[in-house]
Amino acid sequence: MIDFPSTLLITSILGALFAGFACSTTGAFVVRMNLASIGYLMSHAAFAGAAFGLMISIDPVLGAIIFSFGIALILGPLAEKARLESNIVIGFLFSFMIALAFIFLNFIPGNAASARALRILWGSIFSVSTNDLVMLSIFSFIIVIFVVIFYKELIAIMFNRKLAESSGINTRLYYFAILFLTGIAVSLSIRIVGGLLVFALIINPTSTAYQFFYDFKKIFIFSPIIGIISCLVGFWLSLISDFPIGASIVLISAIFFTIAIIFSPKRKRGKLKIHQKAS
Amino acid sequence: MKKDSNVIELVNIGTVYEGERLPVIYDVNLTVKLGEFISIIGPNGAGKTTLLETINGLLSYDKGQGFVFGREIKKHKSEIRREIGYVIQNFEMDPLAPFLCKDIVMSGRTGKIGTFRFAKKSDWDKVWYSMGLVGMIDFAKRPIGKLSGGEFQKILLSRALAQNPKLLLLDEPFSNLDYASRKQVETLLNRIHEKYNITILLVSHDLSFVPSRCKRVIVLDHGKIVMDGGREKILKSDIINSIFNGKGEKT
Ligand SMILES: Nc1ncnc2c1ncn2[C@@H]1O[C@H](COP(=O)(O)OP(=O)(O)O)[C@@H](O)[C@H]1O
Ligand SMILES: [Mg+2]
Repeated sequence: MIDFPSTLLITSILGALFAGFACSTTGAFVVRMNLASIGYLMSHAAFAGAAFGLMISIDPVLGAIIFSFGIALILGPLAEKARLESNIVIGFLFSFMIALAFIFLNFIPGNAASARALRILWGSIFSVSTNDLVMLSIFSFIIVIFVVIFYKELIAIMFNRKLAESSGINTRLYYFAILFLTGIAVSLSIRIVGGLLVFALIINPTSTAYQFFYDFKKIFIFSPIIGIISCLVGFWLSLISDFPIGASIVLISAIFFTIAIIFSPKRKRGKLKIHQKAS
Repeated sequence: MKKDSNVIELVNIGTVYEGERLPVIYDVNLTVKLGEFISIIGPNGAGKTTLLETINGLLSYDKGQGFVFGREIKKHKSEIRREIGYVIQNFEMDPLAPFLCKDIVMSGRTGKIGTFRFAKKSDWDKVWYSMGLVGMIDFAKRPIGKLSGGEFQKILLSRALAQNPKLLLLDEPFSNLDYASRKQVETLLNRIHEKYNITILLVSHDLSFVPSRCKRVIVLDHGKIVMDGGREKILKSDIINSIFNGKGEKT
């Protein structure tokens, strides 16, 4: 272990905490609405965007946001049309994004290029700036407001989009809002967790919470809690072991998920417990 | 243009699915008066679901004109939908789905409550009342994925009722139900119709379940209304035999 100035340490810890919160809260939507493949693509687009940002010397977070919004704009309408094979389009765009990312990385100016490039691939806890922290906390606040204000609409849509639409909700608006929020969450977290693994932080905590709860309110509460714990423990693991931070966080969240699958009360058969069940 | 007296007024309606050339339903003329209880029957693929979703505007028609509550469907989709309770055709429910029955029933009121507003006690009262109506109050805190077919159907029905609808669209509410549950749901529909005088359109591919209070039957085949009239007359007619090809459970 090395010694760090305590402000740097605090910034990093807060960064991990907010990244965990932002990703795992949007994850609650992504998991339930089957947006996994779109989100996965989005995180790689954000990676390509960050590389692009580094190449033209702007804030990589800005590049990431631009690219992931582009994906939301292209894929949102596509995924709405059931007839179009959106999986094929996703597969195509996925490889295209990776190719772009590698090309951009190649052209990043300066000597430190490879180090900076690697950081947005693997993530790096000490690249969190105060600026990032402010953006992450504002975004976390926005997500909380979004969930609180539109809770009833979100529940209706996540249960069944057609029924939600039929009771007078403009579901498309919410669908796109969720895509954009996911894009921002991914983009803001990419510097910490890394472009290759940020998506795991979206999926794993919610999937873990899913193993325990039947009430979506609890998923909304516990999936960020699990996300935050994963990030903090992952941070600690990275400090003591020198593992890359992104890998540590994903490792921890994967362990949580595995434990959850094994001990999930949802998957257990009640022993000698008579369940009243009408036919 | 306003047509006030009728709940539904469809004039020469034709609906084409996106990317298709031929309309799934066409030349549909339908007038439904306040308080009518109508069964729409027809074999699978006849266009029954398409017709219902044209009425609540989930699908938009390409030909003709449609009015619900005197308002043109295309222009007033979301206002119209707030007054329509829709029970969707059976769909697969993930057994692990993290929703409680009471929240699903409440979700029916979402449009009515309105954006930026929160559910009040009076909204919850509606929820409890309509769950009571279908006899599912004990299931309020059960997960939605763990219900039997009949229980699920009743929750969907009470979700639609919680909306306080003026019009109820029911898509195959009897499918996947055993005889006893069918009877239960049928009794329930009769009771709701008697008590609240809601206009009901019930879609079914099965001739044998036309609820007793339902006085008018419409037969849909290959996207067209082929018969429309009193229940006795229609259920006894010969055409019905040929359409259902001896597959109707009862003739
Ligand atoms: N999304 C769709 N796109 C194209 N055709 C469709 C779509 N949904 C249904 N159809 C076609 O429309 C016809 C009527 O379908 P539907 O209204 O669901 O019939 P029903 O409810 O009477 O069984 C069927 O031939 C079906 O194949
Ligand atoms: Mg149908």
